[in-house]
Amino acid sequence: MTLNNIKPGCECLIKEVNLTGSTGQRLMDMGFMPGTKVKVVRNAPLVDPIDLLLRGFHVSIRHHEAEGMEVEEL
Amino acid sequence: MNEITVAVAGQPNSGKSTIFNMLTGSRQHVANYPGVTVEKKTGRYRYQGNTVTLVDLPGTYSLTSYSKEERIARDYLLHEKPTVVLDIVDAANLERNLYLTFQLEEMGIPLVIALNMMDVAKDRGFAIDAHKLSELLGAAVIPTVGKKHKGGNEIKEAILRACQNAHSQTPYGETREAGSVSPGISRKKDSFRIDYGAELESVLMPLEERLLNDPKFSFRYPARWLAVKLMENDNEARRLVKEIEENYHGDGYSNPR
Ligand SMILES: Nc1nc2c(ncn2[C@@H]2O[C@H](COP(=O)(O)OP(=O)(O)OP(=O)(O)O)[C@@H](O)[C@H]2O)c(=O)[nH]1
Ligand SMILES: [Mg+2]
Repeated sequence: MTLNNIKPGCECLIKEVNLTGSTGQRLMDMGFMPGTKVKVVRNAPLVDPIDLLLRGFHVSIRHHEAEGMEVEEL
Repeated sequence: MNEITVAVAGQPNSGKSTIFNMLTGSRQHVANYPGVTVEKKTGRYRYQGNTVTLVDLPGTYSLTSYSKEERIARDYLLHEKPTVVLDIVDAANLERNLYLTFQLEEMGIPLVIALNMMDVAKDRGFAIDAHKLSELLGAAVIPTVGKKHKGGNEIKEAILRACQNAHSQTPYGETREAGSVSPGISRKKDSFRIDYGAELESVLMPLEERLLNDPKFSFRYPARWLAVKLMENDNEARRLVKEIEENYHGDGYSNPR
């Protein structure tokens, strides 16, 4: 399952970040790493951005970025 | 000692400009970085007979070469070689902010850390042991609340002390004599060093030794930093190495720090 499929209010664990180049680097710089717990705060289909909570801070990313992250729902 | 240059670095929204304003008051000057439209703000203050020039760097999550802001911040640190880096850390987002701190440490420039947003951190119920953090990082850690003008004098004092320490050490905290360093030996007693684990270190350490023992590199760039970046396959770092290799005519000593 990828992060874009996680419903608001649900938590998941990142298993893999399948993004390369500057997008992948930026997300990793912000702490998107395998093993990181992420809570989905807002996520509506086709509406960017997706609001997330990880490591104690809020961050908004796009659907296509979230799609590049393999997660496991908690 | 009288002319001190301090680069103010930090992640976006950590309070760089607020601290910059707190320290320099109204003595500021705005220009652009050469060739780009990113604003370069400099300011000055005097402290105990020293004139200190502050440069407000763009906020970045890290110092890779992917975005314009990151390249500007990084090029400034690498090529302009400020006396001290003042790293503004958001205490309420410590974990994420320390990632940049680690990269700054690796660049080997004397570091002073402002642990800003202490009020927000407190409200969130965080208790941060600044002394312990300072010990672990090998740099002064000053709790501040930029918005309430708290911590300015302590920062000025810490910057001065960091300069004095820097003057009694060789650049980058490394020895300058090529060939005199044996692998695995920590070169500066209190220097901070991330251990990347056996698997990565088996590649990293030999690379670092090679860079350190080659004067055309060791006189220009911090070996540990360059080794890490080369291992990351960072484009800018590769370009730097190529450029130096191509322009080297046996005068590796001509452009020391
Ligand atoms: N509560 C609180 N707010 C602060 C503190 N320091 C700065 N701020 C506020 O945080 C916000 C961001 O501060 P800036 O100084 O603009 O941050 P910056 O690092 O320069 O931001 P960028 O240049 O955009 O990366 C502003 O609204 C400041 O007033 C602090 O210690 N506590
Ligand atoms: Mg700013």
